[in-house]
Amino acid sequence: LDNDRTEAVAGDLARMLADYLENNWVDSPCAGKPVGADTNMVTGLQLDSFQVMEFMLEVEDRFDVAIDLESLSDTQTITDLAGVVVAAQEET
Amino acid sequence: VTTLLDKFEPVRELAAGLERAGRDPTNVVFDEVRSATVGVVNGRDTILAGTNNYLGLTFDPSCLGAGVKALESRGTGTTGSRMANGSYALHTVLEGELADFYQCRHAMVFSTGYAANLGVLTALLVKEDAVLLDADAHASLYDGCRMSGADIYRFRHNDVHSLERRLARLGDRAQRCLVVVEGLYSVLGDCAPLQGIAELKKRFGARLLVDEAHSLGVYGERGCGVAEALGIMGEVDFFVGTFSKSLGSMGGFCASRHDVLDLFRYVSRPFMFTASPSPAVAATTLEALRQLRARPELKDRLWSNARSLYGGLQALGLELGPEVSPVVAVRCRDRESALSNWNRLLEAGIYVNMMLPPATPGGASFLRCSVSAAHTDAQIDTIIERFAGLEI
Repeated sequence: LDNDRTEAVAGDLARMLADYLENNWVDSPCAGKPVGADTNMVTGLQLDSFQVMEFMLEVEDRFDVAIDLESLSDTQTITDLAGVVVAAQEET
Repeated sequence: VTTLLDKFEPVRELAAGLERAGRDPTNVVFDEVRSATVGVVNGRDTILAGTNNYLGLTFDPSCLGAGVKALESRGTGTTGSRMANGSYALHTVLEGELADFYQCRHAMVFSTGYAANLGVLTALLVKEDAVLLDADAHASLYDGCRMSGADIYRFRHNDVHSLERRLARLGDRAQRCLVVVEGLYSVLGDCAPLQGIAELKKRFGARLLVDEAHSLGVYGERGCGVAEALGIMGEVDFFVGTFSKSLGSMGGFCASRHDVLDLFRYVSRPFMFTASPSPAVAATTLEALRQLRARPELKDRLWSNARSLYGGLQALGLELGPEVSPVVAVRCRDRESALSNWNRLLEAGIYVNMMLPPATPGGASFLRCSVSAAHTDAQIDTIIERFAGLEI
């Protein structure tokens, strides 16, 4: 059940991030790159730490969860991030 | 195989890229500094418009005199921490006058502004606590929060609604939460909406820390900062700030109405394990604080110059920060524009700051000016003229 939920959240996050990149940082190396559940935000999209933190503000509000910065330290892929969101939902 | 040192290759490339564009903006050398507003770079007199010398006190005769007197009578340095070597009377007098200035019972002096933020946050917070940090907060606030081990949640810059949502999500934990903001933000020169923030911290039972580093001596009738200007000083639990901007010296401080501040002296490692401010530094800081309190005309002159520069640059059609303040940020179209125009300004005898992502709001690039009360009308006009010649 948790896997299904994580997969569904990862799908939402991939769409959110694709939209976000289209509307922000259009000049950065990540512009126009496809985003999927397995996409690595750091090595694949080349997002820097600031960009990841900015995107997290969107994620927190969309899912109404509190995600502390430390939770992101090992987060690389969209699926990793979905796991963080699901864990935060459970805590809430 | 990678080695210990390989991680610095991207940094080497970054530094080389800055040098290829001209001078390295992180490594400008002033061969001489003639006054609060003029330095010499590469043999040329250069107007200093990026040194945060808001009140222009670095060459004030009273401050110079106090520094020389302390140097001659108390020596060149304290040679250690206050915990190990004891305090000089100058340290405790400075703390007393800071507490009085902020209308708090307690004040504590640190050796730098960065150390003040690290020292206060690591003493105050533990891993069970939570921090709500403005997204554009200074690196020293981020670093202090991270070092404390507390859970860090960012809220959107200057967005009271974003803060409210995050406080609500914390539930009962909000009572173990510290809200961390700056009075005046140093890149864009915009002020925090402290009234709304103070109202929320009261409603949720959180505590509030305001960093007045860039607003000390600049905002408020008495010059305490943005909290004073907005009438919420009584709601601030911890004021922090630096002596290295308006006071033209070096060091940092915390002032608080809470008596736990005095206990920080026993647990704050950046306080305990650093040499204390030298006698000359403590003396010039103390005298600058007295000058700030005795001469409100310095603040008036600063604001007059700030309005002139902001208005002049705005008339050129440049995109500036959202409000008039002594920090005037000019948005550039991209990183390359910022770099080349920063070089052109320096060649034309104007020193400003170049601000590049990721340390900037919205990932944009800026040329940042800071205004001084010591700037003459002619210097402000010259800065505007030099900007007029740029393609930003």
